[in-house]
Amino acid sequence: MELFRYATSIYGDSKVVIGASWDLLPWFVAAGAVFIVVHAAVKAIAGRRGHAH
Amino acid sequence: MTASETRAPVAPVVAASSGRVLRHALFDRIYHWLMAASVLILMGSAFLPIVGLKFEWLSLHWMTGIVLTVLVLIHIVRALIWQDWRAMIPDGADIRDGLRKFRAALGGGGPAPGKPGKYKIAQKLYHLAVAVLVLAIVASGLLMLLKIDTPFWKRNPYWFDSDTWGIIYSVHGFASMAMITLVMIHIYFALRPEEWWLTRSMFGGTVSRDEYVEHCDTSRWRPEDRS
Repeated sequence: MELFRYATSIYGDSKVVIGASWDLLPWFVAAGAVFIVVHAAVKAIAGRRGHAH
Repeated sequence: MTASETRAPVAPVVAASSGRVLRHALFDRIYHWLMAASVLILMGSAFLPIVGLKFEWLSLHWMTGIVLTVLVLIHIVRALIWQDWRAMIPDGADIRDGLRKFRAALGGGGPAPGKPGKYKIAQKLYHLAVAVLVLAIVASGLLMLLKIDTPFWKRNPYWFDSDTWGIIYSVHGFASMAMITLVMIHIYFALRPEEWWLTRSMFGGTVSRDEYVEHCDTSRWRPEDRS
């Protein structure tokens, strides 16, 4: 998995970075989903613990 | 000394009636929803073609980007001049209460966290993160306008060399993808039941007096009162 997208320079002699790699898109979506799931779970557990007390 | 402590102490506003308390003026609500719409249009026009839904996205994207730029500028001017911009800056009390809340969430003991002012520390930190990302996206996006023909200028891709364009496009791309994460988190919190009092206020503008007293330290946030 690449972090950047590359193209050949106009002089044909090297790779140049042309932007961020879109392969990372699912990872950013997953990061949001993980945060939501973990937060919701922690809140649910804390809520249950609070009711028990 | 915290930002709130440097201001002269004033007795909290107490309404004669048990009316509602203004949290967000109409101007600010309109700004929020216009910004939300423009961010969603920008994200859709950027990423839907990437994931396979092809359409002519570039004109929609850069024009909406101009709209977002204008909205952000209006927000910055309004917040600095007409609003209390310090309300969005984390202070010592926020950090202290945030640590106490974190400790309590892990089952630890210690003093209970105090109530926040208008915004909790999590909201302030979220605003800071979004501000950094959106400013990076706007700045890089405005530079990228140099590479397209608009009614106002002809494209000039030679303004920067290829390495510099690579940096500009990378900043734009990474910040945009990070915005997906933050928008997901923002919508999640807006939908959580314990935050509905806040979500409603971004539609109607007000919170009830009970909600105000329950959730906020009334000496740290003293909004205009209205019935």
